[in-house]
Amino acid sequence: MNYFNTLSLREKLRQLHQADLMDRSEFNDGVEALKGKKIVIIGCGAQGLNQGLNLRDSGLDVSYALRQSAIDEKRDSWKNATNNNFKVGTYEELIPTADLVINLTPDKQHSKVIAAAMPLMKHGAALSYSHGFNIVEEGMQIRKDITVIMVAPKCPGTEVRAEYLRGFGVPSLAAVHPDNDPEGKGWAYAKAYCVALGSHKAGVLKSSFVAEVKSDLMGEQTILCGLLQTASLLSFDRMVENGIEPSYASKLVQYGVDVISEALKHGGVSGMMDRLSNPAKIKAFELSEELKNIMRPLFRKHQDDIMSGEFSRVMMEDWKDGDKKLLTWRAQTRQTPFENTPAGDMKISEQEYFDNYLLLSAFIRAGVELAFETMCEAGIQPASAYYESLHEVPLIANTIARRKLYEMNRVISDTAEYGNYLFYNACAPLLADFMKKIGPELAGKNYNEGKDGSVDNSLLVRVNEALRDHPVEIIGRKLRKYMTAMRPIKTA
Amino acid sequence: MQNLKKSGISIDVSGLRVSYDGNVVLDGLDWRAERGEGWKICGKSGTGKTSLLKAVAGKIKFGGKVELKFYDDTEMPSEAYYVDNWYRFESLDGDKNFYYQQRYNKQEENETLTVYAELMRFGRERGLDYRRAEPLLEKFGFMDCRHRQLLELSSGEHKKLQLVCALWLRPQILLLDEPYVGLDKLSRKNLNELLDALIGEGATVAMVTNDPELPGRVRRYAKIEGGKLVEVDRNCSEDSVEPILIKPVPYFLQKSPKIDSPDMLTLKNVTVRYGQKTVLHDISWSVKAGQKWLLQGRNGSGKSTLLSLLDGDHPQAYSSDISLFGRKRGSGESIWDIKEKIGIISPELHWYFDPNATVWNSVASGLKDTIGWFLDVSYDEQKQIESVLDFFGLLDVSNRLLSKLPLGKQRLALLARVIVKNPQLMILDEPCQGLDTAQTRLFNDILDAISPFGKTLIYVGHYETQLPKCLDHKLELDQGRVIYNGSI
Repeated sequence: MNYFNTLSLREKLRQLHQADLMDRSEFNDGVEALKGKKIVIIGCGAQGLNQGLNLRDSGLDVSYALRQSAIDEKRDSWKNATNNNFKVGTYEELIPTADLVINLTPDKQHSKVIAAAMPLMKHGAALSYSHGFNIVEEGMQIRKDITVIMVAPKCPGTEVRAEYLRGFGVPSLAAVHPDNDPEGKGWAYAKAYCVALGSHKAGVLKSSFVAEVKSDLMGEQTILCGLLQTASLLSFDRMVENGIEPSYASKLVQYGVDVISEALKHGGVSGMMDRLSNPAKIKAFELSEELKNIMRPLFRKHQDDIMSGEFSRVMMEDWKDGDKKLLTWRAQTRQTPFENTPAGDMKISEQEYFDNYLLLSAFIRAGVELAFETMCEAGIQPASAYYESLHEVPLIANTIARRKLYEMNRVISDTAEYGNYLFYNACAPLLADFMKKIGPELAGKNYNEGKDGSVDNSLLVRVNEALRDHPVEIIGRKLRKYMTAMRPIKTA
Repeated sequence: MQNLKKSGISIDVSGLRVSYDGNVVLDGLDWRAERGEGWKICGKSGTGKTSLLKAVAGKIKFGGKVELKFYDDTEMPSEAYYVDNWYRFESLDGDKNFYYQQRYNKQEENETLTVYAELMRFGRERGLDYRRAEPLLEKFGFMDCRHRQLLELSSGEHKKLQLVCALWLRPQILLLDEPYVGLDKLSRKNLNELLDALIGEGATVAMVTNDPELPGRVRRYAKIEGGKLVEVDRNCSEDSVEPILIKPVPYFLQKSPKIDSPDMLTLKNVTVRYGQKTVLHDISWSVKAGQKWLLQGRNGSGKSTLLSLLDGDHPQAYSSDISLFGRKRGSGESIWDIKEKIGIISPELHWYFDPNATVWNSVASGLKDTIGWFLDVSYDEQKQIESVLDFFGLLDVSNRLLSKLPLGKQRLALLARVIVKNPQLMILDEPCQGLDTAQTRLFNDILDAISPFGKTLIYVGHYETQLPKCLDHKLELDQGRVIYNGSI
C-alpha cells in the first residue's frame, strides 16, 4: 500500500515541505554516533563499494552482506568487496551483528532484500536507504523497533569516492522516517553517516522520504532523462532532414549536451545562456518560452501521476509482467537513427557547440525551469527541486557523451529508465509541429552567421532579468556556494 | 649497429615566437639541427624548453617558421614524434577523469586499457610490427605487466611505456621532454643505449633534460636565454646552477613538530597481493621519530605501494599489522587523522592535483590535507603560508594557477605544501622530479637546513648525487622484498 496515500493532507504537505540546508555546525559531532558500531552494507556495486570505502576511511567498521549465490559464484560484488579487504559474509552471518544496515541494492530488489534482511536484524538496529521508493511507493512496513534513515548522495559512486579523497565531498539528501525513529537516534546516525561520506562539506539537505521520492521521480523522468532523450533524438532527426552531415549532427548532439550542461553546472541557466551571443540568447529564450508552453501540461501530468501513486502503480505492474514495456521501449531507443550514427571525427570547439546548437540551450532552459516550477507548484521546496533538476543535468549529460542514450539508460535506475521512455513517448509527438519550424541555423549551423549582432537593448535587458530572477537561479546561487570547490566533471 | 652516413638538415626553426598565458616565452628563436644529431636542451625551469619541443612537433600555436625535413632513403617513418613530460592516458570511456590514489581502490570493471591493449592500439594506428616491441618491453622490465591496467602503473612505469612506444616507432625526429624523470638507474642506462642506436640509424633526437648522463651521440648542447636558443660547447647541466640565496628558515619550522609517539611507524610482516601478484613480501620496518630515511628500489619494486600504506591510501593497510604514530591501523582512526600528521609529495599527488587551484590555495591545502583548498585558514596559518611562499621564492606567483606555471615551479609549490604545517613526518616520493639542478639543490639544502629541528622524513630518489645530506637510514626494496634495512 502506497505510504504517501495513507497520510492526511496536512501530513503529506508537512513531509513534502521538508527541505532545510543543514548548517556546518550541525555536524560538529563528526562520526561519533557511529564510532565502534557494526555497519553492514548490502550490495557492492558502484554506490555500495565507494560509500563503504569512505565510511571505513572515516574510521568506521564496515562489512558487506551478499547473497550466498553472489559469494559462491564470486560475482563482481564479491570481488569488489574482497579485493578491497572488506569482510564479506552472507545475510545470516552478518546482519544479526549489525547496528546499522545500509541497503544499497537497486530499487527493484528492495522489497526482496528487506524481506530477507529484516527478520535477521537485531532489536533496536538501524536501516538506511539511499532512495525512498520502497518505503513511500511500495509502502514497505519496517519493524517498529528499527530506526529507518536515508542518506542519498547526489552523485555517482565514483564521484562520491573521488571527492572524498580530495578532502571534500558530494552533496547529499538525508532523512529520518517519522514512523520509524523509536529511540530518537535517527538524525544522529544520518548526520554521522553524512560526515563519514564527506557530504557535510558540500551541503546536506534535511529532507524526508516523501520529498525525496516525489522530487527524484519527477526530476529523472522529465528534465534529466526524458527531456535529454527527447531533445537528442528530435534534434538529430531534424538536422539530418535539414541536410546537415549526419556524422556531424551525431557528434554535435552526443557531446553538445555535455559541454552545454557543464556551463549550467557552474553558472546555472543564466550562465549557460550567457555563452550565447546576444541575438542567439534572445532567440533561444523565445524558443524556450514556446517549449515551456507546449510541454507544461505534460510535466504537470507526470508530477500528478507521481503524487497520486499512479506512476509507480503502473510501473510495478510492468515489473510483475517481466518488464515487458521497459524492454520494448529500450529496444526501440536502440534502433533510433541517432543511436546508430557514429559521431564523426571532426573537431568541434567548445564554443561551436553553443553557437551551432542553440536549440539545445533552449531545450535545457525550458526543461530545467519547467521541472523546477512544476515541483514547487506541487509543494516541493526549492532546494529539493534544485537538486533533482538542474544539479543532476550535467551528470546525466556526461553519460550521453560517453556512449549515447544507450549509456544513459544503462547507468540510470530501472525506475528512471521506465519514466524516461514514458516521457519521451508522450513528448515527441507533442513537439512534432514545433520541430518542423526548426531550421539549420538553430541546430547544425552557426546562428550568428550573416548577422551583425545587434539587438533591441530593452528586450535584452528584460530577457536577462527573466533568466537571472527565476527562482531556480536564486536557490541555485545559494546551494552552489556550498560547492565552491566543484571540479569540472571532465578534464578532456 | 651500422652507422649510415646520412646528412642533411632535419629541423630548421627561424624566428620562432611562442606566448603562454599572456607571457612571451620564445622570442625570435633560431635553431638548425642536422640528421643524426643528438641535442640536449637544458637550463632553468620556465625558460621555454617544453614550448620549443611542442612547437617543433606542431602541438602548440606559434609564430615564425618551423620546417621539418624528412627523407625517404630510410624506413624510419617521416614523423616528428613528441614524448610528453607526463603520460596522459584515458579511461575506456574516453575521459581523463581519474582521481588521486584511484589505483589502490579496486573495481571489478576495468577502467582503462591494459598495457598490452594500449600497445596494440598504438601499433595498429601506426602499422607497427608487435615483434619489434617485444625486445623493448623486455629491456624495460615490462614482460610481466601486459595484463595490468594503465591506471595501475607507477609513474616510472608510465614513463617507460611512453618511451617504449617512441622507440618502437623509430621516428626520423624524436623530441623527448624530460625522458629520465622517474626512471631508475638501470633504465636510464638502457634508454641511453637505445637512443644511441636510434641516432646511429639517422634519427634526429632532441631532449629537454638537466641530467648529466646522456647517450654518447648526444653531442650538441643548448639552453634558452631571453627566448632565444644559445648553443653551449659542453654538457651544460652544471652551468645553469646559479648561486642561491638561502633565506633564513621560517621561525615556525625551527620548532620541533609535536610528536605523538617515538615509534612513528611500525610494520610487521606486511604482505600486499593483487590476485596472484605479490607486490610486497613480508616487510617489517620501523621508523623512529627523528630518523631520516632513504627509500630505494628499482621502478616497480613496491616503493609507492609501501608509502601508500603509510599515508592511509591503501585499503590493504586495514588487514595488515601496521601501527602509525603509535596507533594500530584499523582501530577506528580516519585517514584524515593520519594525513594530519604527514606532509607528502609524490608524482601521483602532482598528477592528480586540482588544476583550478592557485599557488596560494595549493600551499594552504597542505594545512587541511585536501587536494586544492576549501576551508578558511586562521591568521597564524595565513602567516605560515606566506612565510613558506617567501622561503621558496613563490610570493610573486601566489595568485597564479598552479597548473599554468612551469613544471619546476609547480613542484616547488607542492614542496612548500609539504612543510607548511611542520608535519611530524614528511614523505618525499621523488620530490625533485621536474626541478632543474639549481632548484633541486635549493630543495635539498632546505631539507638539510630544517632537518635538525626534530624532523622525520622518508625520501625516495633515483639519483645518488642529488640527495640531501641529512639522510641517515636506508630501506632498499627489490621486487617487493627488503634487501637492506639499516643506517647509512
